[in-house]
Amino acid sequence: MDRLALLPALPLLGFLVNGLFGARLPRAVVSLVACTLPAAAFVLVCLLFLDLRASGAPITAELWTWAATAGFRLDFALYFDPLAAVMCLVITGIGTLIHVYSIGYMRDDPGYARYFAYLNLFLFFMLLLALGRNLVVLFFGWEGVGLASYLLIGFWFEDRAKTAASLKAFVVNRVGDTAFLLAAFLIQATAGTLDFASVNGFFATTPPAAGTATLIALLLLLGACGKSAQIPLHVWLPDAMAGPTPVSALIHAATMVTAGVYLLSRMHVVFEAAPDAMLVVAWLGGITAFVGATMGVTAWNLKKVLAYSTMSQIGLMFMACGLGAFSVGMFHLTTHAFFKACLFLGAGAVLHALHGEEDMRRMGGLARRLPFTFAAFLAAALALCGLPPLAGFFSKDEILWMAWAAPQGSPFLWLLGAATSLLTAFYVFRAVFLTFFGRSRIDAAHAQHLHDPPPSMSVVLGVLAFGSVVGGFLAMPAAWRELLGVGAPFYAFLEPVLGQPTTRPDVPHAAEWWLMLVAVVLALLGIAAAWRRYGAQAPAEADLFRPGSGARALVARGYYFDAVYAAVVRLVDGVSRTVLDAAERTFAAGSIDAPADGARAASRWFGRLQTGSVQAYLIYALVGLVAVLGWGAVRG
Amino acid sequence: MTLAFIAFFAALALVFAILVVTLRQPMRSALALVAHMVSLAGIYAALGVDVVALFQVLIYVGAVMVFMVYTIMLLDDRDTSYRTPYSRLALPGLVVSVLVAATLLRLLLPAEEAHALGGAPGQASSFAFATFSVAFMRHYWLHFELATVLLLAGIIAAWAVIREHK
Amino acid sequence: MTDTYSLLVALAAVLFAVGLLGVMARRNLLAVVMSLEVMVNAVVLAFVAGAWHTRTLDGAAMTFFIYVAVTCEIALAMALLVLLARRRGSLDLAAIEELKG
Repeated sequence: MDRLALLPALPLLGFLVNGLFGARLPRAVVSLVACTLPAAAFVLVCLLFLDLRASGAPITAELWTWAATAGFRLDFALYFDPLAAVMCLVITGIGTLIHVYSIGYMRDDPGYARYFAYLNLFLFFMLLLALGRNLVVLFFGWEGVGLASYLLIGFWFEDRAKTAASLKAFVVNRVGDTAFLLAAFLIQATAGTLDFASVNGFFATTPPAAGTATLIALLLLLGACGKSAQIPLHVWLPDAMAGPTPVSALIHAATMVTAGVYLLSRMHVVFEAAPDAMLVVAWLGGITAFVGATMGVTAWNLKKVLAYSTMSQIGLMFMACGLGAFSVGMFHLTTHAFFKACLFLGAGAVLHALHGEEDMRRMGGLARRLPFTFAAFLAAALALCGLPPLAGFFSKDEILWMAWAAPQGSPFLWLLGAATSLLTAFYVFRAVFLTFFGRSRIDAAHAQHLHDPPPSMSVVLGVLAFGSVVGGFLAMPAAWRELLGVGAPFYAFLEPVLGQPTTRPDVPHAAEWWLMLVAVVLALLGIAAAWRRYGAQAPAEADLFRPGSGARALVARGYYFDAVYAAVVRLVDGVSRTVLDAAERTFAAGSIDAPADGARAASRWFGRLQTGSVQAYLIYALVGLVAVLGWGAVRG
Repeated sequence: MTLAFIAFFAALALVFAILVVTLRQPMRSALALVAHMVSLAGIYAALGVDVVALFQVLIYVGAVMVFMVYTIMLLDDRDTSYRTPYSRLALPGLVVSVLVAATLLRLLLPAEEAHALGGAPGQASSFAFATFSVAFMRHYWLHFELATVLLLAGIIAAWAVIREHK
Repeated sequence: MTDTYSLLVALAAVLFAVGLLGVMARRNLLAVVMSLEVMVNAVVLAFVAGAWHTRTLDGAAMTFFIYVAVTCEIALAMALLVLLARRRGSLDLAAIEELKG
């Protein structure tokens, strides 16, 4: 279908135009190109979505044959099914909004055109990732978004710390990518194809040995962990906040980091063939959710709090996938995209007003000065906490219900999720109170011209806040549906691809209501605790700046993950350097220096032949002549 | 009979050539060279090639060697090349010339069977002066003219080399 | 190889080698030039022997042109020798090493 092929081409065009000519075009043209193309892509996605709903059959576009040998065939093909539709709607919808937001946010930056070029490039690759019909096209997009992320995190490349952060993101992602490739090789070896439909069909009908399936699933999980910043490959996400805030909103909240969840959902048949791996996924997600929340509690940088929050929420999505509730995970992905992007953009508005101050200890009292920003931020924060009837409530609750009631779920898993919810409410409202309430602790230098952001930014904030509030009604949990007699359009839409999640038969339905109640109570407890600590009386400034001790210090240092990784890297580096030196000494001395010295000595020896005497030269010539003539004479 | 003469003059030519190479003083070498050239002229005469024998004596001995003798008389300085007439390369040079001689002999000497124009040696009549001149002018008149141009060039070149530059 | 032609050709080769020896081994420039003359004479001998053996005219005609060339050569060689002697004060070949290296 032409429209499908056109879809990724639109942002690619934007990248080319702004990348090649952007520096010479006026700002207005750059903004126009950069924002209308994603908007057109969004319209296109909507049209394709309507086509899909009308016909019920996935739309495909075979662009060209990439490789074709005996036994292996690879096409560059795009595939628009319900799962891809959800992803593309999120990507292009939220992507366009963030592009518009960036017009205001990056107004004063000299690298304006470059920024939009990279942002469009990211959209192109992300669309390829979501639309790919086989693992290779997906990987193409996978790598590409890693590249775009690298370019955008290190956007202000003159700062060494920022470029170090971008490199860290790329390298950690690489580890995940290696696992992904190994999984792809295994899949090719067992299923003989990389096309999603064929692979899923193969694993559904003739699954390979349990060991192989588990291995493949675990490798895919590791790849997903790299992209989605789950333990053990989560270390890059907090550092990635070095990039511009809209980048953090788009890439590190709404789209790129959710690619892991998408991968798990795409390959759900493979996972369903390996129940042990699913268990690992669920527990890994749960643990990451909890650990991420604890790190959010101790962070003082507003953006880092949101980064840890992202890590934690994606952990919940992974947990849902591990429990077989892939569509629930996708739903949380969608709602999370709205309120997390809203939170990030709100933080961006705060940063914009404070001219770059990110430390919450130097904020305070901004509710009066930035009322609109405060309202949007508050709405998104409430959604994140999962308070009804905002969007986060419906998606998160379904996950917690699955944690309790799914076949591989357990009360302990639910407990992890519940504890995470408690901490989530605590840290997000800690951020709200520190930033917007109380006496102002802002530096005089940053306190000039505190005002709400310009329309290009605030309209976007409003739209996202609205989505955070009402988005949940797209897919209410089963209990509500029964109560209200409504369907869940979201789940119904995804059912042909992802099926329905199942629960254990021994769990009573009423349990769902109790769990929901507990979750709400926990959220309110968390908010109350945050109010007591940070809201009611303004915390003493000395307390804020005192370094933590014991457990607090452990968490604040990221559980020493970074330290361990750095030590490993140093070890490997040391080993390789030793080996290289030894090899160079023996190898180079023997095979490189020796001939070089030999050549030099030989040339010096030959040089002595040039004595300056004409008679000597004559002798040389005659010797040659005799040799030639003699050879002729001897041969007759 | 002719062969005896030829052999005699050949031996003389060889001896004098060796003397040219080995005599210490250039003047004596020059005189040995003159004798060498006259011996060669004798060979030519014995062969019956009168024209070349004549040219040999007239041009080579009469003009070239006389000129060389003049130069030697001008430049005969007793410098180091008198005390040590041979350079350091004498021995390698000897080896190389032996090799050259051997190679040339091997290449130039005809095999026993290859007597394409066997029989008596050439008649003297074809090299008589009159017939030679007529035939020469008939076939080589252009070369002759070019040779005169070459001589002219030689004269001018010699003058150009030797004059003082102001 | 008792026939005349072979003898003459052999003689030419040997004379050529003798002259070559003189060119390579003598230190005095005049001696070198004279050895060169010996070599040329050997060539002339070879030509004459060839002309006599095949009873054609061309070899003899060639000798004429060789004499012309030698005359020019000697004229210039002597001029150069005079210049060289004037410049350096000696005709010793071993002392001239400007081509060294």
